[in-house]
Amino acid sequence: MTDIPLARPERHVPVWAQGLIGQMLALLIALAGGAVIIWLVGESPLHVYEVLLRGALGSAENVAGSLLQATPIIVCGVAACVALRGGLFNIGVEGQLYVGGFAAAWVGFTLNLPAGLHVVVGLGAGMLAGALWIILPAIMRARFNANEVVSTILMNYVAVLLTSYLTIAVFKRPGGWSETAPIAQTAYLPQLMDGSRVNLGLIIGLALALGLYLFLRYTGAGYAVSTMGSNPKFAAYGGVRVKRNIVAVLLTSGAIGGLAGGIETLGVHRRFMEGFAPGFGFDGVIAALLANGNPLGVVVAALFFGALRKGSLLMEVETGASREIITVIQALIILCVSAQILIRRRGGISGEKRWKF
Amino acid sequence: MAADIAADFAIEMIGITKRFGPLTANRDVSFAVRKGEIHALVGENGAGKTTLMNVLFGMHLPDSGQIKVNGAQVEITSPQVAIGLGLGMVHQHFKLVPSLTVAENIFLGMEIVRGGLIDSASQVAAVRALSASSGLAVDPTRVVRDLSVGSEQRVEILKVLARGARIVILDEPTAVLTPQEGRDLFRTLRGFTDQGMTVILISHHLDEVLEVSDTVTVLRDGAVIGTEPAKGLTEARLAQMMVGRPVDFGRKRRDGTAGAPVLTLTRIHARDDRGLPALMDVSLTVHAGEIVAIAGVDGNGQTELAEVVAGLRGPSYGRMNLNGRDIAGAPADIVRGAGLAHVPADRLVRGVDVQASIMSNILMGRQDSSAFSKGGMIRWGRVRAEAAALIKRFDIRTQGPDASVKSLSGGNMQKVVLAREFSQGKQFLLIDQPTRGVDIGATEGIHDEIMRRRAEGVAILLISVQLDECMKLADRLLVMFQGCLVAELDPKTVTVNEIGLHMMGASHNRKASA
Repeated sequence: MTDIPLARPERHVPVWAQGLIGQMLALLIALAGGAVIIWLVGESPLHVYEVLLRGALGSAENVAGSLLQATPIIVCGVAACVALRGGLFNIGVEGQLYVGGFAAAWVGFTLNLPAGLHVVVGLGAGMLAGALWIILPAIMRARFNANEVVSTILMNYVAVLLTSYLTIAVFKRPGGWSETAPIAQTAYLPQLMDGSRVNLGLIIGLALALGLYLFLRYTGAGYAVSTMGSNPKFAAYGGVRVKRNIVAVLLTSGAIGGLAGGIETLGVHRRFMEGFAPGFGFDGVIAALLANGNPLGVVVAALFFGALRKGSLLMEVETGASREIITVIQALIILCVSAQILIRRRGGISGEKRWKF
Repeated sequence: MAADIAADFAIEMIGITKRFGPLTANRDVSFAVRKGEIHALVGENGAGKTTLMNVLFGMHLPDSGQIKVNGAQVEITSPQVAIGLGLGMVHQHFKLVPSLTVAENIFLGMEIVRGGLIDSASQVAAVRALSASSGLAVDPTRVVRDLSVGSEQRVEILKVLARGARIVILDEPTAVLTPQEGRDLFRTLRGFTDQGMTVILISHHLDEVLEVSDTVTVLRDGAVIGTEPAKGLTEARLAQMMVGRPVDFGRKRRDGTAGAPVLTLTRIHARDDRGLPALMDVSLTVHAGEIVAIAGVDGNGQTELAEVVAGLRGPSYGRMNLNGRDIAGAPADIVRGAGLAHVPADRLVRGVDVQASIMSNILMGRQDSSAFSKGGMIRWGRVRAEAAALIKRFDIRTQGPDASVKSLSGGNMQKVVLAREFSQGKQFLLIDQPTRGVDIGATEGIHDEIMRRRAEGVAILLISVQLDECMKLADRLLVMFQGCLVAELDPKTVTVNEIGLHMMGASHNRKASA
């Protein structure tokens, strides 16, 4: 032993790992909080989580179901991620999903096109609708600096109610359900395997996530976007056209949100149903936040949320816990992640502590 | 008896060592400050001044060593603990909330509450009283956003006093002040010590260190070089202790004649963020191989002038020409394409992305150039090589191209900006406050780099609130006052007093009334 106090070894954790540890911690705290609530409603948390896990991953069929649920969340997550990395919040993914889904379905049941082309035109229409749905918030943000969080949220309500109106009052199929006529077979998005509705959308989602990752990391345009996201004044000083990029980023984000809707209607439901995709858009936004804007992390987060959704179905059958417990856990994740962002931003290596968003 | 001697010290830091990964920021530093004195802590960028003060203020925990405050050994684990011990720190980068009033900022987190509501009247009264007793004049009801930099600093100091500080640490307090404001500040600090308070001053303006402080401690490479009374010291001696070699203070020897015009502004008018006129009828020309300096008190339109020239703010009227291209109202990328390199005034806001790596910061503005990109893809290998070369050439103290900019000291951040902007071979350099918050050794290096660009035939527009800098570097000196250029002077013959009069608008008012 020596009298001189030994220096504590400085923790030398790479930045990405620090982020990962933080997110995992947020997740654990959220699950623990969920356990408390499950216990409060008189169920055994262990049992409920076990059933949840079995329902999500217990059999090949369940895994396929989880993937099916995860597909729109991946695509919506990428949509939110594009905006997030440009320093913008697109909370309107849900609305873009609805209008995109409706536009794709409309192409599906109205137009007569050869197979293949029909799908492409349908998905294209979905993307166009999603982009159009965010054009107003995008221009208002670029031109007047109007907060896009508020404007995109407001557009959500309009989207849900507008597609409801169109479904019920204009395109309703005769019969009981609030849904449109089915789409033509030529517009079906191909399914990946028999016995499950998992479709090409999953591949599209994974490709988009990988594409976005490579775009941000390796291209000049991606560098411009992510620099704008972390310091817009620095980007403007360096010659990045910030206003133009704000519009481009938000329109791209909206188009991908619309694509998510197209994938759901052409790949899963094959018609447009009122309330066809509850909360996928919001789950996507949460996935992007949980992944801290990393497109590959979005995929992981979305798979997790998809598994939660699938697992919750069995959980409701086998235990007394309601499906809403999943929403509670997601809400707790948001809380923990936001708290974590604050903590991380407070103390940097420089020791300079400041509150900042 | 020993206890009595110890009690004479307000602060004793003994054998402090602090490492960041492989970097040792403080190596066995011992630093003692007597009660009631002004003690200056000087040293180059990265010498460890800020780290030492952060240790004292509880923002870093030392790896070894001990701290005594007023003779009692203490463990300062957080700024809250430090404040509780009567310490107060005024940071180089102000930490005020722009949208709140002066009084609200001062009482932030310790509001005077009556019946569950903030008692604004009492807060305002308390600030008035504090302002009167300390000699720091501010209007407590003004919103901080509208204050000048000097007033913001007074608010920062009042904030510290309101929290009961008896030992005040100021980090580079005069970096943003005019000479007059600086003198006022020092008078105030002397008033503090007359009341028995203790002041620690981090600075690299050697003249003011010698003028205002009682004792000086010099740090170099994380270790103490010496602690001496200010009386027996000279600037040259102090500079040598800091840098480790003799330093040149004189006017830069210049030769060569100016070439063709590179930048021409003709009758430029512009508005500020609030839509008020900020520039009026500004015309100037900068020739190749010439340094034109713009002097003036901060806030007289220099910010707007720099933004207009850099393509970040459109002029409301007038013509601008850079290298034969019309750039009035053109966006920054076009102006850069026409030959602009730009060192902005506030590096943290505009000059760097602190979250990103040095490499990524070096790339800015060139992400689409053929040197660093091919078919839209960035050639990160080349960027890394360039960053490594610039780190070496500009002596940036860092762990390498992948280190984040926020791990650098202020002066080294500035070197990243200079490295990026100076190395691109542009014909026109816009340099705004190049040495703000940068210490003497680094300042000398920056001035040498600027002179080298001049010798290469680059046209340079230098905007600085530091008169000595303008006089040392400029071929022609323009003075700005309330958005107008009010005088063109020859830096070889003009006196500081004469410039000062122009800066305060003497000539302008005469012209207006004539």
